[in-house]
Amino acid sequence: MSIRFPSEEWVAAFFKAINESPEYLEGGKPWTYGVTALVVNPQPEIGLTEAYGIWLDLHEGVCREAHACTVEEAQTAPFCIFGDYARWKQVIHKELEPVKGMMQGKLKLKGNLQIIVRNVKAAQALVTCATRVPTTFLDEP
Amino acid sequence: MGGYVGRYLEVDLTRGSITDLPITEEVRRKYLGGSGLAAYLFFLRGKYTADPLGPDNDLFVLTGPISGTLVPGSSRFAVAARSPLTGIWGEGSCGGDFAPALKRCGVDGLVFVGQSPTPVMFVLDGGEVALRDATDLWGLDTYETTDRLRETMAGKRRPSVLSIGQAGENLVHFAAIANNKHDFVGRTGMGAVMGSKRLKAIVCRGEGTIPIADPVAYKVICKELVSKISQAVPAQALKEMGTDSAMDLGMMIGDIPIANWSRGEDFELSNALSGPTMSETYLKRGLACYACPIACRREVEVPDGPYKMAVGPGPEYETCASFGTMLAQKDLAGVIKSNEWCNRYGVDSISAGCTIAWAYDCFSKGLLTLEDTGGVPLEFGYVDGAIAMLHKLARREGIGDLLADGSRAAARRLGRGSEELTAEIKGLEIPMHDPRGSHGLALSYMTSYRGACHKAHLVEAIEHGLAGYTDVGLEENYDGLSSEGKAPMVRIGEDLGVPLNALALCEFDMWCYQFDDLVRAIRAVTGWEDFSVEEYRRTGERLWLLKRALNNLMGVTRVDDCLPLKIRTPLPDGAAAGLVPDEALLLGDYYQERGLDETGRPLAEILQRAGLAEVDAVLHR
Ligand code: SF4
Repeated sequence: MSIRFPSEEWVAAFFKAINESPEYLEGGKPWTYGVTALVVNPQPEIGLTEAYGIWLDLHEGVCREAHACTVEEAQTAPFCIFGDYARWKQVIHKELEPVKGMMQGKLKLKGNLQIIVRNVKAAQALVTCATRVPTTFLDEP
Repeated sequence: MGGYVGRYLEVDLTRGSITDLPITEEVRRKYLGGSGLAAYLFFLRGKYTADPLGPDNDLFVLTGPISGTLVPGSSRFAVAARSPLTGIWGEGSCGGDFAPALKRCGVDGLVFVGQSPTPVMFVLDGGEVALRDATDLWGLDTYETTDRLRETMAGKRRPSVLSIGQAGENLVHFAAIANNKHDFVGRTGMGAVMGSKRLKAIVCRGEGTIPIADPVAYKVICKELVSKISQAVPAQALKEMGTDSAMDLGMMIGDIPIANWSRGEDFELSNALSGPTMSETYLKRGLACYACPIACRREVEVPDGPYKMAVGPGPEYETCASFGTMLAQKDLAGVIKSNEWCNRYGVDSISAGCTIAWAYDCFSKGLLTLEDTGGVPLEFGYVDGAIAMLHKLARREGIGDLLADGSRAAARRLGRGSEELTAEIKGLEIPMHDPRGSHGLALSYMTSYRGACHKAHLVEAIEHGLAGYTDVGLEENYDGLSSEGKAPMVRIGEDLGVPLNALALCEFDMWCYQFDDLVRAIRAVTGWEDFSVEEYRRTGERLWLLKRALNNLMGVTRVDDCLPLKIRTPLPDGAAAGLVPDEALLLGDYYQERGLDETGRPLAEILQRAGLAEVDAVLHR
């Protein structure tokens, strides 16, 4: 069964996929820098009237907690990555590597860029986890 | 007309004379300046068969119309001549503070002809223009030369110094020219041309100003550009972490060469050598070229250990790869030391590192032995071997004499199959971006007019999506691992990138704004009110065709537009594992796109259309 992105169910499935992933256990091991929040920018024409935040408490290859959050809460995280819906869709489809996307300005980072650029393997493993969540998108019939 | 200060000088080193060189406004607009104007002047002189290290190979040192203004990134100038490394068109561009200093002396450019019997330096000090004896400087490295000249010319304003080190004096074919201590005209051996003329240094100090055609518009656009740059992520990354900011990302996308182009992935190496690691360990501060808000240059210190170095210039990405990943060695302090020696001797750290990596490869296969290397084990992972080779090649001692002519010539001399271990195109060593991970870049390496080059165009930035110029017919995304449909992108990337070295402007700043912005800046500076993005692109095409024609006249044909075996061999691992660029597809599409005939020459009608009738008349006579 496919899960709508973004939604609480999708976040729960993503949490599970991360913690079941041998790739993230390995690739995410060096990540000890605290919570990363992802923010999907609002896009009313596809029904996303408010920004949607995803709170990921990642630490040494595991996700300790994941929940949907407001943009205000997301901005309290040490790393907060903003992107339009189409960009996150590209990320989930593995068409946009997130660190490259940040360098290209397609995703906007609030947080320490130096830490992000040296943790590309962790980011890559997270994307692999996202691709394992069967996803339906708001802009698709 | 603004931008230009109005004077070009020809310095005859054989006779010791200095004369004015008239350049019309029409010629300036058509070829801009920098390496564009140099190519046209080279064409007019017609010395295609001149020995690159002989008296007939003229050396051009030219600024462009926006050089030395406050347009961000406009610190640059170009040096050009026939290259001793490649035998074809050679040029290099450099930041620092020389371009504004030259213009403040009321001079846009210099052409050095002939050959001095003894070491000399050329001095522009305010209104004084002179050739002076430099015998006491001969034998000094570039840092020592800069210090000595700054001591002897102490005063309110520090002079800007261009100099060569021992490598240039000893005619190392990839010798560089230093601007003070931080900036280098690195590629294609312009330092050796300077050395062959026994021109040790060029020194400038002046108080003049650069005329600006529309000061109000100029102020507005400069402010806008600074603001755009300050908001751009690539600029932020360059400022915080230098040009080596994304080595881990590069490793992930298959951009980083390892162990002489033989492996595709090693995150331990990239982690140890990356910009963030440098920031956490040896970095003292970032430094900027004249009028640049980015400040990507590194100043570092290695406080102790075998590679101890006082606070001074640190390595860029290219050197971190050429003396790091290419040698499969992860000692960042060792890279910093190698960089210091490259700077002091005055050698291009790309060609030097690649030629040394070729020697390591030869050593690993038994093609070079301890006897050949003077007892130095050239084993991958061992950076001291590379430092030892730098000392030898700068002085042409022992095996250093073999390495000093670059990898192509060295392999030809050594033979025994060592030719298969080089990675060069038209004699220029491939820079530190693996074209197996970026097929558009592979094509641009094949077709660039100075050999394998990543700086004469914007292809790398466009293919990796770092510069989004969607308003000029480019797509937002390109798949680096595909060869399909890359020719139009490469052609546009060349046409847009070539004029940067004529203007002369730093590519990194250009990543942060659009061509429409640049054209507004050019208009404000020069007063060319109808100058447009279209004219900019047509100028880029003209300059590319002109340089291609020069290369044809120096013997380049289609067979020279090819990838070396190293790059035609698939990598065993990494993002580009198992894939190689489709050379025939890329080149076939490109020849059509560019209008080249089967021998590799631009078609007559293409030259005519580009306003190069006089070039056509010579090329197709
Ligand atoms: S970006 Fe770097 S190389 Fe370019 S002008 Fe600025 S400091 Fe110099």
